[in-house]
Amino acid sequence: MKGLFVTLQSAFAEALSNRRAFAFHAAVMIVNDLAWIGFWVVFFHKAGTVRGWNTDQIVLLQAVLTTGGGISLGVLSNARRVGTLVTSGGLDALLGLPAHPLAQLLVRKIEPINLGDTIFGIVLFAVAGHPTPWRTVVFFGASVVSTVLMTSFLVLTGSLAFFGGRSDSGELGFSAILMLSNYPSSVFSGYAKLLMYTVVPAAFVATVPAQLIDKFDAKLAAEMLAITVVFAAATIATFNAGLRRYTSGSVWTNA
Amino acid sequence: MSARTAPVTAWTSAQRVVAQPGGLLMTAVIDAMVVAVLAGVWRAAAGANGGTIAGYSAAAVTWYIATSEAGTISMNSRLIDDIGTDIASGAIAVELLRPVSVLRQRLLVEFGRVLPRLAVCIATGFIVARLTGGRLPSGSAALLAVPSLVLAIACNIVAQHVFAAGSFWLRESRAMWFLYQKLVFMLGGMLIPLEVFPSWLRTMAVMTPFPSMAYTPARLASGHFEPGLLGVQVAWLAVLGGVAAFVFGRGERRLQVIGG
Repeated sequence: MKGLFVTLQSAFAEALSNRRAFAFHAAVMIVNDLAWIGFWVVFFHKAGTVRGWNTDQIVLLQAVLTTGGGISLGVLSNARRVGTLVTSGGLDALLGLPAHPLAQLLVRKIEPINLGDTIFGIVLFAVAGHPTPWRTVVFFGASVVSTVLMTSFLVLTGSLAFFGGRSDSGELGFSAILMLSNYPSSVFSGYAKLLMYTVVPAAFVATVPAQLIDKFDAKLAAEMLAITVVFAAATIATFNAGLRRYTSGSVWTNA
Repeated sequence: MSARTAPVTAWTSAQRVVAQPGGLLMTAVIDAMVVAVLAGVWRAAAGANGGTIAGYSAAAVTWYIATSEAGTISMNSRLIDDIGTDIASGAIAVELLRPVSVLRQRLLVEFGRVLPRLAVCIATGFIVARLTGGRLPSGSAALLAVPSLVLAIACNIVAQHVFAAGSFWLRESRAMWFLYQKLVFMLGGMLIPLEVFPSWLRTMAVMTPFPSMAYTPARLASGHFEPGLLGVQVAWLAVLGGVAAFVFGRGERRLQVIGG
């Protein structure tokens, strides 16, 4: 555990070594997130309330998504690169270390640009999320669970590369979870909604957390926790099974 | 470079993309997902507003999104970053040694790359829109949307070269890339039909070239027979082409290459 903490610390030190570049990248991502908020403000201004969703709720959804997504893609940035690292034989450097290769992989590299997302999400909640002590507790709790779920899904789809030999599944998983999480799942119906609550659990990454902050429901929270545990367990099992099939590429620096 | 070799350059580039069916399949899957989800949101909005939103029916807005996404998903989303990196690193210097215009060669290669992906996105968008939104609102207007899409990607590619040329002076293009993307998303009407904007924002948007890259073909495919829009696209293509030639000409003269 101490080794992982030191690895994470050095990854942060590396990311922050060029302060100006870090600030610039974070600012760029904040502008990017503001554009999305702009889209939703214009959308709901014209459309009014759509299937129970309005601007206030979409702000909560975006706050959770950017906070959780920022941690998943920024602090645990290798989560989205598992497929590429597997197919290029880039896991070699992790195999000789005492920590579990997946844990070591996840904390090894920080993506500064996505840390801007996390900053944006927290500020957005503070400014426009009508924070109360209880809502703040739910916001941070839901963001942590959302981070675990998104990271698990990214690693799971990336780990399929151990078996298929191609990194496409990881790329597709990344596009799918990120895109689907941006929209309130309640707006959809039929197969699209079913997909967002099961195979690609995008609904639990942002929609459900936003609903919990707005109106806490213990049953919904338990469902969210349960699906997160299921995905996390499936991810660890798939990664471990895949690792037994891993073929070295004699690459020592990519991870 | 003669006019005869230009199609060969684009064709060779297109063949390289076709030779990788996995990449085309990925483009189709992503396009299908985006169209299904985004059009679903707009249909829900139309449904909540008595069947239309900003003058678009549920079917029309579905075809709008399918077309605007075809014009943007088929593009290399990191093109500005790629060109900027080549300029900032000095890699572009090698291209200056060739007896052809760097800009023209790059435009042709990129145009060739995009065409197969555009064909895939049109086919995918057609299927998804037909299944989820219903029939095309107007066949004749939709026919105009096809050349309009080709003009849209041409405008988009040239404009990205204009933005990327900033690297000749700034040696950095990432900020330009992010800014450009958002301009196409919003002012270009990729996510939102311009009619949804408040009037001041719509007026501002139509004075820029960005609607020619997404809104115009989408407006046509959603059943609005407005052939004059193609003329606007041609005009913007000419303006952007002139600006690109100017900035590349100036930039190439001041290019500094560090190292070998």
